Amino acid sequence: MDPDKDNANPTIINPSDLPTRRRQSDNISSIKRRTDGGTGLFDGLIPAIARSSHAYDPFAAPLPVDSDASSPSSSDFGDDDVLEEIDEQEIYDLIAPISDPEHPLTLGSLAVVNLPDIHIVPPASTASRISTVRVLITPTITHCSLATVIGLGVRVRLEQALPPRFRIDVRIKEGTHSTADQVNKQLGDKERVAAALENGTLMGVIRKMLEGCDNVNE
Amino acid sequence: MSDVELYIFNYDKDKEEAAKAAKNTARRLVEKDVKLLSLIESIGQYLNSDEAAKRTKALSYLAEVLEALPPKTLTGQQRNLLCDFLVSRIADESETLPICARALLALDDLGPWETEKSVTMMTNILENTHPLSQYKLQSQRYPVLNLIDRLLAKYRKVLHELHDASQEFMSRFVSYFDAEKDPRNLMLVFSILLVPMTEWDIHSHAQELFDAVFNYFPITFRPPPNDPYGITAQDLKDRLRHCIAASADLAPYAFPALLDKLDSTSMNTKRDVLQALSSCVENYGPHTISLYSVTLWDALKFEVLQVQDDDLAQEALSGLTNIATQLSKGSTGALTVYLKPIAKEANEHLEDAPTKQSQAAAQILENISASSTASSNFIFGAVLPTLFALYGSADTTAKRRGLIEVLNGLIRANLRVYGEWRSIDTRESLVTDNSDQQTLNSLSTFSSQVLDVLLQGLHSTPIKEVSYRLVALDTLANLTKARNILNDEDVSRVISLLDDIVLNEESYGNDDVKTAAMNSLVSVAQQKPQLIIDKAFPTFMAKLPDSDRNDTVEYVGILEAFAQMSKEPKVFQTIMVRLRNKLYDAIKLQASPQFIQAVLAAMIFAVKQNPTALVGTSTECSYYEELVRPLIQMATSAISSSPLTDPGVVELIGKLSNAVIQQQNLEFQASTTGHLPYGLWGGTESELFPSFAPNASPQQVQLLLISTHLLAALRRDIEIRPEYQELLTNLKRVVQSSQTSSIVKQTAVQQISLVINKFVPRDKLSFVVDLTPSSLRESENITSANNDDFRIAFAATKGLLLRNAPVVTEMVQRLLEALSATSAGLTAARGFAMFLQPDELLTKENYCVISPLYRQKLFQLATSTITTQFPSASSAVKRNYLIALSGILRYLPYTVIEPQLSPLTPLLLQMLDLSGETDVKAAAIDILITVLVQQPEPLEEHASSVISRLLNATTADSNPPNVRSRALHCLALVPKKLKTEVVIPFRRQVVKRLTEALDDRKRAVRIEAVKCRSQWIELDEAGDDEE
Repeated sequence: MDPDKDNANPTIINPSDLPTRRRQSDNISSIKRRTDGGTGLFDGLIPAIARSSHAYDPFAAPLPVDSDASSPSSSDFGDDDVLEEIDEQEIYDLIAPISDPEHPLTLGSLAVVNLPDIHIVPPASTASRISTVRVLITPTITHCSLATVIGLGVRVRLEQALPPRFRIDVRIKEGTHSTADQVNKQLGDKERVAAALENGTLMGVIRKMLEGCDNVNE
Repeated sequence: MSDVELYIFNYDKDKEEAAKAAKNTARRLVEKDVKLLSLIESIGQYLNSDEAAKRTKALSYLAEVLEALPPKTLTGQQRNLLCDFLVSRIADESETLPICARALLALDDLGPWETEKSVTMMTNILENTHPLSQYKLQSQRYPVLNLIDRLLAKYRKVLHELHDASQEFMSRFVSYFDAEKDPRNLMLVFSILLVPMTEWDIHSHAQELFDAVFNYFPITFRPPPNDPYGITAQDLKDRLRHCIAASADLAPYAFPALLDKLDSTSMNTKRDVLQALSSCVENYGPHTISLYSVTLWDALKFEVLQVQDDDLAQEALSGLTNIATQLSKGSTGALTVYLKPIAKEANEHLEDAPTKQSQAAAQILENISASSTASSNFIFGAVLPTLFALYGSADTTAKRRGLIEVLNGLIRANLRVYGEWRSIDTRESLVTDNSDQQTLNSLSTFSSQVLDVLLQGLHSTPIKEVSYRLVALDTLANLTKARNILNDEDVSRVISLLDDIVLNEESYGNDDVKTAAMNSLVSVAQQKPQLIIDKAFPTFMAKLPDSDRNDTVEYVGILEAFAQMSKEPKVFQTIMVRLRNKLYDAIKLQASPQFIQAVLAAMIFAVKQNPTALVGTSTECSYYEELVRPLIQMATSAISSSPLTDPGVVELIGKLSNAVIQQQNLEFQASTTGHLPYGLWGGTESELFPSFAPNASPQQVQLLLISTHLLAALRRDIEIRPEYQELLTNLKRVVQSSQTSSIVKQTAVQQISLVINKFVPRDKLSFVVDLTPSSLRESENITSANNDDFRIAFAATKGLLLRNAPVVTEMVQRLLEALSATSAGLTAARGFAMFLQPDELLTKENYCVISPLYRQKLFQLATSTITTQFPSASSAVKRNYLIALSGILRYLPYTVIEPQLSPLTPLLLQMLDLSGETDVKAAAIDILITVLVQQPEPLEEHASSVISRLLNATTADSNPPNVRSRALHCLALVPKKLKTEVVIPFRRQVVKRLTEALDDRKRAVRIEAVKCRSQWIELDEAGDDEE
């Protein structure tokens, strides 16, 4: 076994067992769950005539400025007026693909981040816009020396990916780490976080962890 | 001066002049101007000169003369004479051997010499010039090696006899090449040594031979840049590997030496070792391999169980598999000796499954099982009892999943060696000539136990254990495939479980399990079609309502299932009968249009999967008689409350009819369906075309919809009625009538394109030009063109464009001119999108004439006009040009656009500025994405405007979500594709602006925003590293 690793043989969750957004509640994703219980096999066959009152006709006299309803390309997105709030699953989807610093595995598949341990606290008063995202991380073993790095990685990821109206709070889940208090202090201290991010080596590690999150396919 | 004097004179000063002299002699020899004898005499004095240099030069002259001679110039006697002479010179002094070798090679090119001379030559070389390394220059050794290589190629037999006759020959031969270092020469040395290694009895010299080649292992040669010889390390590695694997006699030296090198820390060395081992295993033969099999297992297993590098593990795995394959050709005992420790070790790893080691063990088991039936049987017997015991006592689902994965691998391997049900016919013919195949498949011993475990597991595991159930389902599907393993009763149990999952199980997550179960049913349908018909169909039919009066929508899933299963031709027919009956019932019971649409869609899906099954004879076609005709009749006579008046249903009936009629031959179409499109109205010959105006009945509208699909299905040689002139004139009238509804107009327009494309003869195309409304035939009238004029003009042009008729150029020009008109221009602009957009009627399948170059033609016509007229166009009509261009560009592949990219780029950017035209914007962004991916350089000068326009396209107030999302995707490519120094100045601005998109209303847009922003953030950090 590789002695350099704190936990050389962690439990791995199979990708198909990870929490995903149920298509049912998802009226935006391009593979939206269908109300008819089918998979959309016949979509290409059922003619446009049957789906909307009229097909796209470039000559049907003056088109409305907002031609959304008739252009098929935007139908995947649902109604633009419906607001889709940022929710816990979305936070999970942002941080689950972060790679572990010592395994070629994601934090999601190692159960370091878990959906039930993500909470969004709405603004305290109507006057405030600031919501808080609280993420509790579970190191794979209680003496994991990389807990701080993982915490920082999660923090950096969320700071880059969430709009500024969110405050970010990353901690070690209670009872899962031997020096949780110290780690939490470090993760919670703005100045210490900022100082840590000035450290080139550390930032290099974190950048490597975040590498796999945003693959832009062409 | 004689040639030889000239040659010697110029030898050091001017090589070319010297060569010329030699060539001159050769020419004179051919022309018989000079005799060989006098030639030899003329050089004799130099050959016997006191100066060594002169002697060498004279010999070299002879070599060059020989090289310049064409074949057959010299008689056999002359060649033998020259050969003797040259052989006698070989050992003369140190410098002569390379030259003699050159001369001898040239001589051999002219024709063979007597075989015994080769023996003398070889002996002479070995006795007098050993070792070769005494010649310091590569260019000296090379011809000698070439000569020996030639001797082994052409005079192998006598050299073999030389070896058989003398014990010392081989040692001297092998050591002759010692210390060769040049890659060009080594290629020859390896090829020389391969001959005795492969063909001769080398038992007593095996070690010498092995050492001679293995000294070079591993090859670390790296060719210099621009290497003129083109020899790669791989070439050397391949030749060396062939040598090592050449003979089983080398095994006692090769295996220990290779395994020793396996401990190397260099990945390259390990890779070479593993590849060499694999080659040895393949060539040494079962008996030799059996002596080393366990040793090899002990060494190779670590590469798989403790993976360092995936491709090394793969090499090791294929080595292990090769051993099993080889041993399976030998005695059973040897195979067992090899497999026993493997099974034992694998069983140990399975105990703590799932771990990386257990997965690796599973891989080893699967690969080895797939090597032969005997291996598969042994592994089943040795592993399954342990596996079942572990499964029984497993306390977590993860562990059970890990074990099922192992089982799945073993069954997959079994399928590879024993075959599937559906391969039964082809396999049986193979069995007879290979007794090995007839051994009992051990899987059958365990099949009922395996089946029970899987069925039980799928029944009792909670539905949220997705990964376990997926693996179990896959294993079950593989087990069902295995030939002669499950009996029909067992397969029926599997089918009923799958039915249950598909139909009755509560939905969970993304329904991966339901999808997998459905796919398994489809795969069972391929193996056991009759059982699916008998067992699955009744269950599915029972779940399928006769109508959807109770507001249920479950039926869609079931219909999809039917459609999927129809992929198997044997099942297809039954499905069509059942669905047809269901359809007629539903129509009778006045089910909702949605339900009828779904049934029709399922039938169309099935029909499209099995086009050949539809083909009838010249006189009959059951699908037409029993399905298409009754349906059309019902549709044309439907009363207004019937679901058959629903335009969607009518459209689908049209498509189904199209799919069936399309497949029929010309005779059938001519006699039965040719008159159909307008025969539907039942009118007399004189009034075939209905009026459609001013108040067309719903039935008439439906008829028009169906007739379009029927027209599309007809072959080009059919004579349609009414004839094309009458039909087109009527269709034009319908379109131009102000009373006609939009649907009718659209359909009539489609028919115009179809008829023009398929049924107007080449010499009658002027009729089409005349059909175009006058407003669009003369430039000055363009302003008076209305929407309907445009409909007709575009439809007619489209029909002609696809068949690439010459008149089309002019028609497209008219339409392009219309763009400059203030009021009509916008309509014309939008029309351009209809030329290239995907069209399901105008297709090759529908016998349309589709020219391969019509896209290029339209693109060329349009871009040349638009790019020249756009700059001078008034600002009011500029957008018309942009919209028209976008309508064409969005459907073109990149390769068509590419040559015109630089004049088009500014226009593309202006498309992003058009307010309100979201389709144009979306298309422009998509084209930008393609350009960025394919060839981003031309965009660099526009970086600033590209970035700022894309940023504007990400804001929510004026852009729909799809535009925002595509713009973000495009913007994310910018830092990846353009040069860093070009984009870095924009980084701060982009990162800041994108915080807004991070808070977009739509989740899908936010996801793109996150990706895009991190690309731009990363840009800076990557830049920092370089500083």
